[in-house]
Amino acid sequence: MATVESLGAFVIGGYLGPIAIIGLAILPAAASARVAGRLVRISLLLTLPIAISVVLVSVFTRAGVHVLFSIGPFDATAEGVDFAGQTLVRLFAISTSIGLFGLTTEPRSFVLDLERRGLSPRFAFIALATLEAVPAMVERASVIASAQRARGLDTEGSVRARLRGVLPLVGPVILSSLTEVEERSLALEVRAFGRPGRRHLLWRIPDSGTQLIVRAVLLLALVAAIAGRITGTFPSLP
Amino acid sequence: MTGRALDPGAVSTSAIRTEGLVHVYDGATRALDGVDLAIARGERVAIVGQNGSGKSTLVRHFNGLLRPTEGRVLVDGADVADRRVAHLALTVGLVFQDPDRQIFAGKVRSEVAFGPRNLGRRGAELEGAIDAALVATGLDKDAETNPYDLGYSRRKLLALASILAMGTPIVVLDEPTTGQDARGVERIHRIVAELSASGRTVVAISHDMRFVAEAFERVIDARRADRARWLPSRGVRRDRLADARIDVP
Amino acid sequence: MLELTGVSYRYAGYATEVLHDIDLRLADGEIVGLVGPNEAGKSTLCLVASGLAPASVGGSLRGTLTLDGTPAAGLATHELAERVVVGFQNPNTQRSGIAATVFEEIALGPMNLGLAVAETVERTREAIERLKLEHLILRDPQRLSGGQAQLVGIASLLAMRPRHVILDEPTAQLDPAGTRLVGEALRSLAGTGTSLLIAEHKTDLLDGLCSRIVAIDGGRIVIDGPTGEVFDDPRLTGLGVERPARARLAAALATRGVEPGVLGGALEDATR
Repeated sequence: MATVESLGAFVIGGYLGPIAIIGLAILPAAASARVAGRLVRISLLLTLPIAISVVLVSVFTRAGVHVLFSIGPFDATAEGVDFAGQTLVRLFAISTSIGLFGLTTEPRSFVLDLERRGLSPRFAFIALATLEAVPAMVERASVIASAQRARGLDTEGSVRARLRGVLPLVGPVILSSLTEVEERSLALEVRAFGRPGRRHLLWRIPDSGTQLIVRAVLLLALVAAIAGRITGTFPSLP
Repeated sequence: MTGRALDPGAVSTSAIRTEGLVHVYDGATRALDGVDLAIARGERVAIVGQNGSGKSTLVRHFNGLLRPTEGRVLVDGADVADRRVAHLALTVGLVFQDPDRQIFAGKVRSEVAFGPRNLGRRGAELEGAIDAALVATGLDKDAETNPYDLGYSRRKLLALASILAMGTPIVVLDEPTTGQDARGVERIHRIVAELSASGRTVVAISHDMRFVAEAFERVIDARRADRARWLPSRGVRRDRLADARIDVP
Repeated sequence: MLELTGVSYRYAGYATEVLHDIDLRLADGEIVGLVGPNEAGKSTLCLVASGLAPASVGGSLRGTLTLDGTPAAGLATHELAERVVVGFQNPNTQRSGIAATVFEEIALGPMNLGLAVAETVERTREAIERLKLEHLILRDPQRLSGGQAQLVGIASLLAMRPRHVILDEPTAQLDPAGTRLVGEALRSLAGTGTSLLIAEHKTDLLDGLCSRIVAIDGGRIVIDGPTGEVFDDPRLTGLGVERPARARLAAALATRGVEPGVLGGALEDATR
């Protein structure tokens, strides 16, 4: 959970200030959670599309004086390259921090922790139900596929045959989900899911003193960075 | 579920046979542990047993939805290993327990038409098969109704009709009577009897003991408690029951 | 006490009423069985008796539902949930979909009531013990068999310790062992003063469990009386309700000129 809050700080911090330094803080954290390799790979993959367009746009259209080379009417400037570089590093910092969050946080614990800190139980329910919705749908779809195959639906044949199979496969998934909605929501009401007010949660989400301190420090660093940037007391870094 | 339920004279006329059938889920759970069974053509067999005893797993091997981890499954004398599910559907019709996991058509009639059409039936033959199935399940007057305007128990009958119309020589039913009232159970009992009378093989998973005792001639009992053992076939003769006028086995 | 007086009900968007003039009373600690053919209104009656129709489902209700003296009409659905619960037969819809383990699933009800953690755990444990689900508590609720899911669904309702429990075909997915288990759990529950209304096709179960049977047909209550009397009533077969084994045996013996009374208690014990 501490990771969550710390990363919130990181993300915002990544916009301003010394990006390279932040990059140094994220990777060690990732290493301690043993996800460094995956993190780098995933972040690179995710930022690649944006990175390409950023590079193309800024290198060629950024107003600048020192022209490096030209393609047609477009001039590649040193200023453009510099800007592109800075933007890319920022992007990478953001994607790695979000990635770190995604790889180290269990969604369920996150939602429950939010509820413990004041999120309405209804929102918590919606978040958790959404998380579970996909696996449940997949399971349902697989049962439906079996039932239709048992009625002779050919799922291994030609493309035309498979297209014909779309409605019998998708139809029951949607229909049964919709028809179950009413009974589902009734069952939820019976179990007092609609009750206003707080709940006393069964789960204890571990939160040590160290995490508390780390969060506080990061938050202070963020505030300082923003203040410094605004007041212009921050030195310009390469 | 494991063990042997071989009827001495049934080998040459088996509709379904399994030899040393083993099925392991996820590399760890042994749902079936060496099952040998033979079901003769035209037989009416009920598979009973507690939840988790492997009944559903077993019957899903009959039409190829599940493949053996070890052992063989033979339908009509031929190993199912090389046959696709869609192809086995010509021989084995499996009615799933939850009708809402298969219904997709806007009308009862179209729903019933799906199975036989997949098997290549057309024209008068197709319409005849659908009509017969609707009459047997009491849905003939609702042919144009939307399936979801029928109650759950009638939707279950619709699922049954969908398989009946396919005209398969072997029909497998997974918990056909759950959710049915007395009339519904009677209707299903009649359908089982008619299927058998026309020479078709009927296999049903059920925990309705009365239905089992009345509609079937052989019971295979899968005991959960001790997976290494299961009761051999126990003949439950209907005429003996009728004499004693005892309905509960 | 749960009381329905002169209740007629019509679903939203439908012109005709599906329940007509229902009078039904459930005293504390009483177990009442509800029988009748499918589509006679059993499920609707369960919804109405729980107050969810019309509070959640809409539609229009004539007549009154009173829960322990309080009219249900003004209550919000969570206020109804504190007094009466209703369970349906489809285990898929009874599941919350958000619990990681069976224990959590059962605990959700009491937790939603805003109870302290200790109390929530206590009630959850009690429900688990009642339905002998100890071996399932760490399992994923999505990965249970139909029968196991149905038992978990019932436990989830019992954990809320409501004064009134309404169950629509609670043993539909259960084998005879599971059915007996539920019967015993409900019997012990009634012993604590909870009133129960159980809609079922399994008349043998109701025969051993209920003190009263109510038969419904075409949206009307046609029979309401003590179990023994009702199950000996020949009208039941005409309603498409199968009588329990005991009654069928007694009737068969009677036609042979044997007085069932001769066998006395032995008959009851043998067919239980």
